Amino acid sequence: MTSFILNNSPVSTDKSPGMTLLEFVRDVSCLSGTKEACREGECGACTVLVGSRRPDGAMSYKACASCLLPLGDADGCHVVTVEGLGGADLTLVQKLIVGHSASQCGFCTPGIVLSLTGFALGAARISYEGAVDALDGNICRCTGYAAIRNAARALCEGLAGMDAAPARRVGELISAGVVPDYFKDIPSRLSRLKTAPPQAAQNAVLVAGGTDLFVQKPEELMESELCFLSKRSDLDYVKEDGEVLRVGGATTIEDFRLSGPVRRHFPALERDFLLHSSAILRNKATLAGNVVNASPIGDATIILLALAARLVITAAGGKKREVPLDKFFLGYKKTDLACGEIVSEIVIPLLPAGARYRFEKVSNRATLDIAAVNSALRLVTSPEGTIADLRVSAGGVAAVPLLLALESFKGRKPDAAAAEALADAASDAARPIDDIRGSAAYKKLLLGQLVRAHFNAAAGEAA
Amino acid sequence: MKNEDMLMHVRGASRFVDDIPAPEGCLHAVLFTSPAARGRIRSLDVSKAVAAPGVAAVYTHKDVPGLNQVGHIIKDQPLLAVDSVEYIGQPIALVVAESQRAARRALKLISIDIEPLEAVFAPREAAAKGLIHGKRRERLTGDPAAAFARCKYVAQGRLASGPQEHFYFETQRALAVPGEHDTIKVHASAQSPGAFHHHLAEVLGIPMHKVELDIRRLGGGFGGKESTAVWITAPAMAAFLLKRPVKLALARNEDIATTGKRHAYEYDYKLGLDAEGNILAYEIDLYQHAGACADISPAVLGRSFLHVGGSYRIPNMRVSGVSCRTNIPPNNAFRGFGVPQGTFAIEAALSHAAELIGVTPEELKRKNLLRDGDTLPYGVRLDGVNAGRCWEALDKKTDLAARRAAAAAYNKAHAGHKKGLAVVPVCFGISFAQTALNQASSLVHIYVDGSVSVSTGAVEMGQGVNAKIRIVAARTLGIPVDRVRVDTTNTSRIPNASPTSASTGADLNGMATKHACERLRERLLEFAARHLSCDDPAGVSIRDGGVYVGEKGPVMTWEKLAAAAQWARVDLSEHAFYATPNLHYSMETEQGRPFAYYSYGASLTEVLLDCARGTYTVESVEVMQDVGESLSAEIDLGQIQGAVVQGMGWATMEQIRYAPDGRVLTAVNSYKIPDIKFVPERFGVTLLKDSSNPYAVCNSKAIGEPPLVHGLGAYLALVDALRSVRRDKPLPPLPVTPERAFMYLHCEEGKV
Repeated sequence: MTSFILNNSPVSTDKSPGMTLLEFVRDVSCLSGTKEACREGECGACTVLVGSRRPDGAMSYKACASCLLPLGDADGCHVVTVEGLGGADLTLVQKLIVGHSASQCGFCTPGIVLSLTGFALGAARISYEGAVDALDGNICRCTGYAAIRNAARALCEGLAGMDAAPARRVGELISAGVVPDYFKDIPSRLSRLKTAPPQAAQNAVLVAGGTDLFVQKPEELMESELCFLSKRSDLDYVKEDGEVLRVGGATTIEDFRLSGPVRRHFPALERDFLLHSSAILRNKATLAGNVVNASPIGDATIILLALAARLVITAAGGKKREVPLDKFFLGYKKTDLACGEIVSEIVIPLLPAGARYRFEKVSNRATLDIAAVNSALRLVTSPEGTIADLRVSAGGVAAVPLLLALESFKGRKPDAAAAEALADAASDAARPIDDIRGSAAYKKLLLGQLVRAHFNAAAGEAA
Repeated sequence: MKNEDMLMHVRGASRFVDDIPAPEGCLHAVLFTSPAARGRIRSLDVSKAVAAPGVAAVYTHKDVPGLNQVGHIIKDQPLLAVDSVEYIGQPIALVVAESQRAARRALKLISIDIEPLEAVFAPREAAAKGLIHGKRRERLTGDPAAAFARCKYVAQGRLASGPQEHFYFETQRALAVPGEHDTIKVHASAQSPGAFHHHLAEVLGIPMHKVELDIRRLGGGFGGKESTAVWITAPAMAAFLLKRPVKLALARNEDIATTGKRHAYEYDYKLGLDAEGNILAYEIDLYQHAGACADISPAVLGRSFLHVGGSYRIPNMRVSGVSCRTNIPPNNAFRGFGVPQGTFAIEAALSHAAELIGVTPEELKRKNLLRDGDTLPYGVRLDGVNAGRCWEALDKKTDLAARRAAAAAYNKAHAGHKKGLAVVPVCFGISFAQTALNQASSLVHIYVDGSVSVSTGAVEMGQGVNAKIRIVAARTLGIPVDRVRVDTTNTSRIPNASPTSASTGADLNGMATKHACERLRERLLEFAARHLSCDDPAGVSIRDGGVYVGEKGPVMTWEKLAAAAQWARVDLSEHAFYATPNLHYSMETEQGRPFAYYSYGASLTEVLLDCARGTYTVESVEVMQDVGESLSAEIDLGQIQGAVVQGMGWATMEQIRYAPDGRVLTAVNSYKIPDIKFVPERFGVTLLKDSSNPYAVCNSKAIGEPPLVHGLGAYLALVDALRSVRRDKPLPPLPVTPERAFMYLHCEEGKV
């Protein structure tokens, strides 16, 4: 049984937990405002808000692609579709979209309303740039976005001065007409909701964010028993521990990206992970899930490889082992993860003194696209200015995410000759194939360019 | 005045086809399509699928009750394949089941054996083998051969432009509901009410008066729902045979893999100029990549053919074009309908020529821009030309010379990054090039409570045509717009309607509505004069919803007038018809007057290219567009912004890849269209001041398609930047994806 609050109404259903929330709201609840336009999280037309009650009783709302969101994952949550906003009057976001003519055919509009509403509810700080980031997964084929941006800008102006933390903002947002009155009672209503305790069935399919799983085999998952890692609050953390960062296996990309420890120790990641995926996917996809997915082009994997991350793997019985990330990938989409094991934690060493980190990604569309080639670099120079340690990863150029073997660079000066040697080494190691992301020749040449650009920039910063 | 649908869009309350509550007993249909690009069907076995759980029926060509044919211009496209297949994705069988899930499962149980035949995927190869749709077209104007002999500069080469997926958000879909007496009602996401109505009746084998096609709105169309009737006739056939409602909705990847796209083109161009940079001669050969069936391709080619000269004065020209029959899904209409492709070649050729001469493309373009008195190659002598005015207004706003100088200075100072810019003038002929389609009708009812209902053949797809029609009706009747409602597009109310395309929706249907409302107004004024015992009937007027006698009034409300008129047995309904006057064109002589008027514009696009990575950003776009006297500036601005970005997508990132066997490899996760971050922060649109137009409704001008051509600016600006680095390669094909830009700069074999 899955129980949640859908807009202003409690719902209890015995539908398959693997049914997508999109199918549930449209076909079971007969709420047709949420649109299906791609079924792969690529367009944002099906965006809904998922609110969960935090231990302190406050709500945390995230905009998510409902086409990749299993119904079972909504258990105990507040799900908001466009029908759950506004009563007789339009909400502020709706008024601004109309006021700025930011809708033409209207098919993408409900998703845009939800993403902007989710931004108002969840953004740590109200800013225009943040609003655009929140809309990065909402594609519109009609307007050319100028009017949508104007509406987003006007929303930020309307909410200027609202600097309370998101969890304490709901009252103000109700007064401002951003969300309806009933939102204020949701935390107490959720606390009274009877939800299923986390299942630990033997053969259950583990679902982390599900944002790739539900693209690959939605029909199979309809029939499967599922175990949702999102219910494992014990695995949702980012914490500093001596010389390392520890990231729980259920931590989402967005929570990781915006967490205090990451912003303190790896400030570049806040921006780099914007390239990873759109807001509506980052809110659901997990860092560990992206690694376990084992895509040879996964942005998170490529970044973590250069950062010398290690995985803590926990077996069903609780036995733990630690594996360096570069030893984790055994072949195309094959990993060193046995049946019943999960990646329970990712350990990221903090940057040593004198270290620089950089990430490069080239994709057909600059944002919200899979890379043709990506690469991350961590360069540590000695006090004398020579290379003490150099790690360079490369994606899209082999069957597995690649970590270049660069022992020979230790002790060298990080000069132009070293940059050329590095570019050559990268191109030599690359074994790309012709595919939908680009030709093999392109990827090989591009990797050389990216690695050279990386190295020169990092060495420049060091000088 | 806004598109009133927005008030529902933001609530998610607007109903698209899939949002109509499923009628009781509704079944779901999916198509079984060809896995081979070309071949003979040796055997087809659907028996296992028929027996699968939840399956109501599996239909093949043998079951089509009427004509197994949906060819749009030429009858060359069976609804369901008979004994051969011509492209991967061609419909062969239709599975109908209790749920879409059950239908899709049953699909896997169909087995087919196809004897493969040689397939052709390259347009030039098809043309060489004589595989073309319709006839090769050619026109000779002046004496190009003699003129080339006088040219100091000749730019010559080959070009290519790529396909573009419509990516309308609502995929192809329809819901068919059978009625009594073998009638059927079809709710569809379709742009061509008249033609699809006809296709439905033909496929079902019943007269058109038994078929009702109803269209409320489309979740985007862009031309992709204009000509191919497969996805409407297929569910209708199933509903008709099973006597149960049937819905068909393509999944996104089915839509990408099997529906038509904007046509890719290949070109041979030769442009000759004199020492001063005046264009003397142009030769251009068009190879249109049409696909397996003609669909609407010959018409698209025809419009390219009429627009190869762009916005320029070209005294001597030879143009030819062929619609090449290849084994890919038949391509169809896409916003611009061949004009962007036709214009592309001359724009690129001018960039090439400017390099040869050593001047900026802007200088060449300005010098050769169309002006009053110029004669187009098909014989039209132009007046009211606003090409120069748009250019000057743009120049005044942006200072083109200063922008060029700034880019040059930047490029001199920076090795790793290069700026590029391009000015694109637009001249877009308005009217269907097929003269017969330039007709529309409107049915207007005034009810006794004063509310007004308008029905036309126009289809609302977000472009705001219904809002414009409301404005025209309200303005003509003298009442507030909120008294007017535009009803669905319905073939029982408006028969034989032309498609809503060619940017003519508001022009044609607005004009018909204006005529209907004018007649009603005259009738009501005459009645009002009698009713009010006025000495001078000419002194009676209706404005702001009230009746005035001279300056006195309102002496009566509009509502009271309507009620009184009805009681006095005055007809409060009117049907009016409009056919654009003075249009003619002969395909024999390739001469005539195919267009009522021209829509003009000019734009500046600036890009920044990262040479090491091949990536780029469009830094700014500034558009000046001539819309005549705009019926709604808000709607027109939105149309321009949307069209420009769609055009930029075509020019930059949108690409379809095919496997060697003809399969479309591109799917939703790899077909990228512009997102919110791609669009430049500096994106200005200005409507040309003091423009009017006697040839369209309320002196407005069409706006749907013309601004898409500005998207070429992204291609040309990128070429400008690329060629500031190297000029030893021919011009790259469109689109300039980051991969193409990178390889242009870094690949030494010259392969792109």
